[in-house]
Amino acid sequence: MPSVHRFAKLAVAGAIAGSLWAGAAYAQDIKIGYTADQSASGVAELGIAGRWGFEAAIEDINKAGGIMGRKVVGVIRDDQGTPPKAIQNMTELIDAEKVHAVVGPANSGNALAWLHLPQQKKIPVVVPIGTATEITTRYAKEPQNYLFRVSMVDREQVALLGAYAVKASKDKKIAILADSTGYGQGGIKDATDILALHGVTPVATEKYGPKDTDITSQLSKIKAAGADTVIIYGIADGTAQVLRSMEKINYMPVTLGTWGNLSSLLPKMAGEKLSEHLILAASTTEDTNARTKALGERVRKNFPTLTTFPCSAQAYDSVMLLAAAMKLANSTDGEKVAAALENVTGVEGVIKTYNKPFTKTAHEGLSVADFYLARWKNGAPVRYEDQFTKALTPADLKK
Amino acid sequence: MGASLLQAVFSGLALGSIYALVALGFNITHNTTKTFNFGQGEFLVAGAYVAVSAVLLLAGKPISGALSEIEVTPGRYFAALIVSIVVLGALGVLLYHAAVKPFVGQGGLAWVMSTIGFGIIIQNTALAIWGPAPLVMPSPLGNQVIRIGGAGVLPQEILVLVASILVMACLDFVMRKTKIGKAVRAVAHSGPAATLMGINVSAIVVLAFVISSALAGLAGLLIAPITTASVFMGLTLALKAFSAAIVGGLNNARGCMLGGFLLGLIEALVGLWQAELREISIFLLIILVLVLKPEGLLGRRMVEKV
Repeated sequence: MPSVHRFAKLAVAGAIAGSLWAGAAYAQDIKIGYTADQSASGVAELGIAGRWGFEAAIEDINKAGGIMGRKVVGVIRDDQGTPPKAIQNMTELIDAEKVHAVVGPANSGNALAWLHLPQQKKIPVVVPIGTATEITTRYAKEPQNYLFRVSMVDREQVALLGAYAVKASKDKKIAILADSTGYGQGGIKDATDILALHGVTPVATEKYGPKDTDITSQLSKIKAAGADTVIIYGIADGTAQVLRSMEKINYMPVTLGTWGNLSSLLPKMAGEKLSEHLILAASTTEDTNARTKALGERVRKNFPTLTTFPCSAQAYDSVMLLAAAMKLANSTDGEKVAAALENVTGVEGVIKTYNKPFTKTAHEGLSVADFYLARWKNGAPVRYEDQFTKALTPADLKK
Repeated sequence: MGASLLQAVFSGLALGSIYALVALGFNITHNTTKTFNFGQGEFLVAGAYVAVSAVLLLAGKPISGALSEIEVTPGRYFAALIVSIVVLGALGVLLYHAAVKPFVGQGGLAWVMSTIGFGIIIQNTALAIWGPAPLVMPSPLGNQVIRIGGAGVLPQEILVLVASILVMACLDFVMRKTKIGKAVRAVAHSGPAATLMGINVSAIVVLAFVISSALAGLAGLLIAPITTASVFMGLTLALKAFSAAIVGGLNNARGCMLGGFLLGLIEALVGLWQAELREISIFLLIILVLVLKPEGLLGRRMVEKV
């Protein structure tokens, strides 16, 4: 038996030595974590799109020689759409994987559940998908806010939808139809506020349950109120039911929706023809320029059913901004990188060139000026333009 | 106004027929064993998923793929109906032996917990197989809105209504006019007496669970093109159906159907006035019925002899 013992000891020693060696080899790498729902909720599609955009950015950075000559490694985690798993992922990424920065998540609720972790542990985070306004504002009063975002922001997209609605509605008869979740209720408040800035009071404000299959009653009331433009605040499956119900009662007003309608559930449930009726807010679409087109093709290699392209683009740009900040700080120290993020400029992203996107007080990489309207066409969202979008001026985008 | 009222009535009837189907499932097992499946909503989910997967397999696709409108032919939909009813019927047998039989006749609420537990097992199995993203099933009849007097109805909604009324009428006939119906009613009246009359009570009881589960499967298949198949859609539907059974009378099949349609109509008509008041009015009605006529609108008063 002694020989077996000795062999076992040797093996253990070898394994330890091996892992130490491996550790040494990777110590120079820069680690960036990615955590988002990639499997569970309706948001998973967005999380997967973001993941491949994230990986494409890392690939490009490494091809260009890495950051400060060091290789960048992505650490991917799936938060399964639940806050407990999201918190666990974040703890693991920061404490066990020792990442230098994080990109994620998809669900706003998950971000709100773990915001305190990176803030306390001084790890800069760029949120590429979640839209809740509070994500970047909760720690805005701290000496250093570690939360940044390159995505839609709830209030900003309503600013665009509201501005379009006011232009498109003939008699300024605009209705708001929102789902009864916290998301929808926040939307009613934002939309009402924004319309008030335009001097418009909605002619009707109606709610529907997120699982309702028939919204004809609410729509009949909106129709009776004479609305010719409706802003829907809800996610894709609810919007699909609203569109179906509109067809039932033969009432097809100008219909505006949020960017959650980029999910492929919308055309699948409402059908191609109806889904094309909806005009939605988007940060970018694949047909914007050559760079977006190229990124779309790359992501589609790994994720053939991609429809939520903006998430890929936003995740890509999030990594690029982090890389630029690390270069500027000439360090991977969280405190220095976060401070550098507030000073980076001229960063080439897919969506745009970021010239000083963040300041001490403003941590939103994109704003209403970057957003535009899109529409489903042949199973993919494309940029939407008409005489009203062309007439929109920066002064119209009240927030 | 007339058109939107008519619209609400159509919507209410379509929704109500689903409540009625599931409520009928509660009634059948309650009559025979004084228990029912609290996981009926999850059975409905299973029915919807089995049906969508059957159509997918027939179209030569993996079980959690995406269906296009052309792939859902009436023939495949009908085949899916049979598969769904057979699978759910088998699940009903399993449910009875695993979660009901050990507790029948005992006091206490062990069967409540065990049927809820069985439902959760089914739900999580579905989650493991199909994942949490909803599966879309286009209607076999297309999506062209049919206009009736200014109101619009989807062909699938008409199918739901017609199919459930047909099934309920058949069941009603079987229960009232045939020998097997007589046997079920005899078991409902008194198990021991039925045994003495030469009725195979345990077979009848199993049959009740098979029918009840198959009804949930049918409801799942019918509603999938309207709601999409989603793992989490069961609970709300089952709760409404249970409310329907309470309102109409848990021990009366016709009462359960009436309750289902009533709830559907109330939901749609109250929504026409104030969407937030839909649930409030439904559950107010339930409390009112429980106070004034605890046995339900058409229910028989139960006399417990001690």
